[in-house]
Amino acid sequence: MIEVDNVTRRFGKVVAVDQVSFRIGPGEIVGFLGPNGAGKSTLLKMMCTWLPLSSGRIRIAGDDVQQNPLAVRRSLGYLPEHNALYEGMKVDRFLRFMGRARGLPAGRLKERMQWSVSKCGLEPVLGKRIQECSKGFRQRIGVAAALLHDPPVILLDEPTHGLDPLQVVAFREFILQLREGRAILFSSHILAEVTSISDRLLIIHQGRLLADIGVDRLRERALERGQDLEQCVLEIVRAGECVA
Amino acid sequence: MSPAGTQRSLPGASGSPGFPSFLEGLRVVAGREVAAYFDSKIAYVFVIAFVVLANWLFMSRFFLTGLVDMTAFFDSMPLLLPFFIPAVTMRLWAEERKSRTIELLLTLPIRTFQAVLGKFLAAFLLFGLALLGTLPIVVMLVWLGDPDLGLIASGYLGLLLMGALFLSAGMLISALSCDQIVTFVVSSLVCLLFVGTGNEWAVALLDGLSPSLSAGTFLYESFSVIPHYDAFVRGLIGLSALIHMLGLSLLFLWITAQILERVRE
Repeated sequence: MIEVDNVTRRFGKVVAVDQVSFRIGPGEIVGFLGPNGAGKSTLLKMMCTWLPLSSGRIRIAGDDVQQNPLAVRRSLGYLPEHNALYEGMKVDRFLRFMGRARGLPAGRLKERMQWSVSKCGLEPVLGKRIQECSKGFRQRIGVAAALLHDPPVILLDEPTHGLDPLQVVAFREFILQLREGRAILFSSHILAEVTSISDRLLIIHQGRLLADIGVDRLRERALERGQDLEQCVLEIVRAGECVA
Repeated sequence: MSPAGTQRSLPGASGSPGFPSFLEGLRVVAGREVAAYFDSKIAYVFVIAFVVLANWLFMSRFFLTGLVDMTAFFDSMPLLLPFFIPAVTMRLWAEERKSRTIELLLTLPIRTFQAVLGKFLAAFLLFGLALLGTLPIVVMLVWLGDPDLGLIASGYLGLLLMGALFLSAGMLISALSCDQIVTFVVSSLVCLLFVGTGNEWAVALLDGLSPSLSAGTFLYESFSVIPHYDAFVRGLIGLSALIHMLGLSLLFLWITAQILERVRE
């Protein structure tokens, strides 16, 4: 569902993403881990067709992001890092706008809105303007908008940012429910968050993909070395060597 | 996220939506923009201020001349629009860029030109609404005498085309900056340039400064909106005027879409 092949992105002389390759199949939840500035958001922005690639190829649900961006956008649910929303809009109108812009027919839009609103717990703020909502609710609105069209591929950039601990737990459960038939990639710089729901981890540092490793394999590796998970990941990052 | 209520079967990943048609995409974007105008009160301020000022400018000359026509109204528009139109266009892209919602909008399955055209239509609708507020002048003239309605219709058509040109120019400038004030000032200056190059004093001055180039005449004939607008006001609907105003509007909209494509990079 997600195929990333030798993708590089340069900003002038700075290489933000360097020859990154990985694949994510349906039913997989993959955590994208790395410190701030590692290149996570840049890669996600290329995957959602916002940023052009300097080189390489990305295919989402079979469509190339450069050759067929509209088809890619149709298959994607994307929550950007800063979750910018139309502040002056009421929540229900915003969701309706997002659904109609994605070509959902009226009946299906109504059904999907009910589903998204219920799953994201947006009932209390439906009639409110987005600018009146708390940070937690704003994040939920962004997630609801990303899932509205029932996309087969979901990209979430720091999705738990701004959520309280209870909301984070609820969010994890929510993501696990979405697993069936979908490829889910979410970024975070919090290890515990990523390992708690992911099948696999992609560890990126300074634009390079250092590890594409199953969470179970990472745990085994940590046990073998007498380390906890955090130490194990830090060792990978410090060594700067690719681990599979 | 509510983990409760999980008994409900989750829709599968199948059944992805299609693309909105070109017109549906336009309608969705334009609808959101029109709502945003009214949500932010810009629409009310713009329409009321425009209608009050336009009617006042007309009335102040109407009672002096006593002529049952709208020349005074149409003559005042090239001076009014360079200040009113940028107020409508300044936020269109500058705000999207500043608040980063541009990433949200341009990663929806709609083309960039669709988004540009949708926003343009919304601004044009608002301008049209403001012009509707000047129709009582027409009603009053019909009540008072026997005005040439064909001439009035032609004048309104010219006004709509000039408005479209200024809107598209303002939109282009809005795509270049994140600052709405800068956008407003620069857009006003550009619109004034379109108007000023049609002023006979400006033409004479520029021609005088460069007699060999005849820059003033060149700008008047090839750039200024005034000769084309004046033709409409006089009741002459010429192909060259239509091409000039519509062609430039489309060109500006196309350039706006190109600029937005570069913003991604």
